[in-house]
Amino acid sequence: MRTLNIAQSQSTPQISYDRQEHVLRITGESYPENSFEFYAPVTAWVKEHLAVENRLRLDINVSYMNSSSTKCMLDLLDLLEDAHQKGGAIDIVWRYDRDNPRSLDLAEEFKEEVTFPFSIVSEEF
Amino acid sequence: MDLFQLREQFSNDGIMMCFNGPFSHSIIEEMGTAIKNHLANENIARVAVQDVFAAYIEMTQNARNYLTRRDIPTGDTGSATIMIAKKDDIYVVTSGNVVLREDIAELTSRVDGINALDLDSLKKEIRRQLRSELPPGSLGAGIGLMEMAKRSGSGLEYSIREIDDRFSFFTLRVQIQQA
Repeated sequence: MRTLNIAQSQSTPQISYDRQEHVLRITGESYPENSFEFYAPVTAWVKEHLAVENRLRLDINVSYMNSSSTKCMLDLLDLLEDAHQKGGAIDIVWRYDRDNPRSLDLAEEFKEEVTFPFSIVSEEF
Repeated sequence: MDLFQLREQFSNDGIMMCFNGPFSHSIIEEMGTAIKNHLANENIARVAVQDVFAAYIEMTQNARNYLTRRDIPTGDTGSATIMIAKKDDIYVVTSGNVVLREDIAELTSRVDGINALDLDSLKKEIRRQLRSELPPGSLGAGIGLMEMAKRSGSGLEYSIREIDDRFSFFTLRVQIQQA
């Protein structure tokens, strides 16, 4: 299984897989020039990963997501939901700055879309 | 051109930042960062900073995607005007760009339709659009305007000026309360 490691830029988050912990971390801000192009390899990797290893945690710390990134994230959640329905060990930890209620709103909207464990953690950055 | 006069006008109108010219993704990034840093020093609620930034990003990316999709040549027609101003306690994000005259009817009916929705219907409509299939080659998810309306709470304002037989100039304006 190949790993995934996308470096952070001003408008794109860092996305990296921690093999030991089985965690995919997404950190930063997300407003790429073309969100669909940016997230395509991530979605492809998650699909591949779930086919081989039926467990994954997403650890998300994204302070801002533009509307097209939101759509890409929802597609990613659908993949995870499928894996969960098939008995996979799936969960999400969503971290947000307690001074940034928009990130909390977004997390709550995403949480409503899935049935696997989704914890929302307030932190002080 | 009298730069001093331009500067006076900017000050009188509360214009914090204004860009005019051909714009790229990296200009969107750089200006966005400048706006965030500027607002962070203004001692306003973080949520207002986020909303101004979000309105700015959705607006500029919408304009850029439109100019790309419609293959409007770069240079004068392919450029956009972007402005962030503060009036009393309200931030105003405005963008203007050239649009094909044939697109005006669809665009304005879309904005009018969004303005007619209350917050709950707006959220439902955003979710519905997020769940719908996009045509291949789409550059955006089709919810930028609704996202701006949601964050503003006071609707989207627009105006149109005819340029010639082919083009008009479309200006979109959104207000964000300081909270």
